[in-house]
Amino acid sequence: MIPLLVLVLVFALVPQAAAHPEPPRPAKLQRSVSNQAIKNFTLTDQRGQPFESAKLKGKIVVVGFGYTTCPDVCPLITAAMRHVQDGLSSSEKSDVYFVTITTDPEIDNPQVLAGYAKRYAVDLTHWSFLTGNEALLKPVWQSFGVKATRKARGLVDHTALTAVVDRAGVMKFAYHGTAPEPKTILADVRELLKGAAKP
Amino acid sequence: MLLSCLLLAGCGRNPRMDALYAQRCINCHGPSGQGDGPIAASLPVKPPDFRQTVETKSNAQIRRIIAHGRGTMPAFEPALKPSEINDMLQMVRFLSREGRDLQWWEKYDTLVAAHCSVPWEAVLGVDDPPEAKKP
Repeated sequence: MIPLLVLVLVFALVPQAAAHPEPPRPAKLQRSVSNQAIKNFTLTDQRGQPFESAKLKGKIVVVGFGYTTCPDVCPLITAAMRHVQDGLSSSEKSDVYFVTITTDPEIDNPQVLAGYAKRYAVDLTHWSFLTGNEALLKPVWQSFGVKATRKARGLVDHTALTAVVDRAGVMKFAYHGTAPEPKTILADVRELLKGAAKP
Repeated sequence: MLLSCLLLAGCGRNPRMDALYAQRCINCHGPSGQGDGPIAASLPVKPPDFRQTVETKSNAQIRRIIAHGRGTMPAFEPALKPSEINDMLQMVRFLSREGRDLQWWEKYDTLVAAHCSVPWEAVLGVDDPPEAKKP
């Protein structure tokens, strides 16, 4: 009986031979100059309060799309946006707003978004994390050219987009890919702050 | 004895754990948990090598990190069932033991390892917070 127990213990301790799945490689970042007017929208922020995009007029807005349980591109997008926010001077900060729009309303309620924001330690006086029901979110996604397809609970295939919107509500720069470069975004934001965006 | 055998026989790594790991963890933690996934280098903080960190953590500590996130690591509790979080935990334990030499195994307390490998949640029930158990 004892040898049997030892055998079972060994079986339990030694990991079963399993082929390691190969992770997908990250897509290369693509920056493009855009001139896409963004339609007004009303969503809900991480405090559970209504958020109207109209209040962003007059500010440069850095927008990121993602969801809180995202295991690949979203942490990089949010981290890059946080770097951009950190890179702004105090005078620039008052003219630049950050918005993260969920692509998974099933999971990302205001409470979940608030926890996500806290983990990234962002300055929430100039950053909102937005959610809503799918009927409200879909037109916003479409306005930015974002597609989102639910694969499983907490797992969504979506366009990896970070964008910069000018003071008039027009998307001027779009960065597609897993790792937006904070320096590039910061330079584009500063061009818009000066009032002359150069491609 | 029969119960012990049944419990221990259920401790092996299984395809469900591999699938969860491939879907939710591999991009940062890498195929063998060494913190070398394809996006790891782009993260603000390099993911840990499980072989250096997991051994010193209890199951409750690891489960808490998986459930509530840490830094840029997502909080999976809103999306996953407790049983799936336990599968992730077991997978992390398996990966943390891979590639060890005999000397490491000799130092490692096999009884502790056996204890950790038993899916206690499956036997005793998942330790959900008290309010979650209320009808």
